[in-house]
Amino acid sequence: MHIPDGFLTTNTWLPAWVVSAGGIGYCVRRTSRLLKERMIPLMGVMAAFIFAAQMLNFPVMGGTSGHLIGAVFAAILLGPYAAAVVMTVVLIAQCLIFQDGGLTALGANVLNMAILGPACGYFIYNIIRRTIKGNAGMIAGAALASWASVVIAASTCALELSASGTSPFPVVFPAMVFIHAAIGIGEAVITCVMVSLVLKVRPDLIYQKDARPFGRRDLVFGLAIAAILFLLAPFASKFPDGLERAAKDLGFAAEVK
Amino acid sequence: MRHSYIDQYSGLDSIVARLDPRIKIITFLSLIIFTVVTPASSRQEFCLQGLLAFAILSVSRMPASFIFKKSLVVIPFVVAVSIFNLIAGRQTIGAFSAIFAKSVLSVVYLILLVATTRFPDLMKAFERLKCPRLIITILSFMYRYVFVIEDELMTMQVAKESRSFGGPALFHVKVFSNILASLFIRSYEHAEEVYLAMCARGFDGNIRTLSEFKLRAADGVFLFAVSLIMLFIRVAGAIR
Repeated sequence: MHIPDGFLTTNTWLPAWVVSAGGIGYCVRRTSRLLKERMIPLMGVMAAFIFAAQMLNFPVMGGTSGHLIGAVFAAILLGPYAAAVVMTVVLIAQCLIFQDGGLTALGANVLNMAILGPACGYFIYNIIRRTIKGNAGMIAGAALASWASVVIAASTCALELSASGTSPFPVVFPAMVFIHAAIGIGEAVITCVMVSLVLKVRPDLIYQKDARPFGRRDLVFGLAIAAILFLLAPFASKFPDGLERAAKDLGFAAEVK
Repeated sequence: MRHSYIDQYSGLDSIVARLDPRIKIITFLSLIIFTVVTPASSRQEFCLQGLLAFAILSVSRMPASFIFKKSLVVIPFVVAVSIFNLIAGRQTIGAFSAIFAKSVLSVVYLILLVATTRFPDLMKAFERLKCPRLIITILSFMYRYVFVIEDELMTMQVAKESRSFGGPALFHVKVFSNILASLFIRSYEHAEEVYLAMCARGFDGNIRTLSEFKLRAADGVFLFAVSLIMLFIRVAGAIR
């Protein structure tokens, strides 16, 4: 999931850097307005928590092990903007400390795992939480949202890899989505249990700012997501090339055309 | 408890360790970008870059086995991408070795940068280079607390393993999630206490340090020499 250096070409990693820098800049502004200077220790300790939680492996079926990503859990407790900042700091630290994810690929990794994954996850969680009242809605929303955030992050990662020509789209996209659809189940179960424990012990810690009926701000948020997808559209236009290329290599290019 | 401190070799005295952290960041960042944008077809260039990385490595006096072990981190990704390409039937030796060379070289440069610099110095240098101060401050905080929280997590895990063994997998997942959730609540409460303690000592959102960086002639010579070699490698690759 953490893309190393050398896997992305300049026409992918540079735009990804620009988009992530803008997105995180916005999130930092939103968070500091909410928390002021109090946010520094809070965000720092939260980032340390996510970092530590990610280091703990748990067994998944078939002898393999996975680890928590925690982006949606962070978004449910801290809100989407603070969660994006925390996840970015975790990704920078993983890049510097473990060389897990490259420096030029950092923009793409932040876009997948700190911006798009948690933002879409939080959006799904919030819709479910407002439709089904009470704790059941929150837990159901947490489960679906964390599964979706893993799958969305994996699919944008696959898009970036294929836009760079590192891996052909018809193979890398289904493979990544399929593998992460399985990993996402683990993430969903763990996030579910964690959220229900927090609901029992410290329900005041759950981020409640968006728990109101649908309104104008939801429209703005939806438009923002649409704008990001629109920005990604130039990458999407490259996919037919990947397909054509694979088709040519496999020797049925004439049939495709 | 054992931790992987990243700056365990920052105490080594070598030409690279003594460089100004700002110059070090600029040099290694340009080396990484230079490696990443190298055309995949020029195998000669990758060989020369490997020599350059090896030269910097030997000058830095870092143990090669440490760097080798840490650079293995990219292997799973290279293997995964090659499998995808094999399935699609367009795997070539050239493309494989280019991606492999690029990712390994970048990781070696990154390790050389972070392992020879003290973490607080690295953070301060990033801040001097106009990285957003807020992100840097949060990052330094995280580095300060990650070992505290990890210790707590390891203690809880030992406690779990000494009390519960066997049983269905779902039970373990449940216990594991409860451990993480209570760790979260503890960390949150810990953060609140830290914040109050810092307020009591006059914290206003800025972190101040006494030491200042100073550029020396050696820093300029190093940056100049490395850029000259990069230029040479590029020209050699273009001529061929």
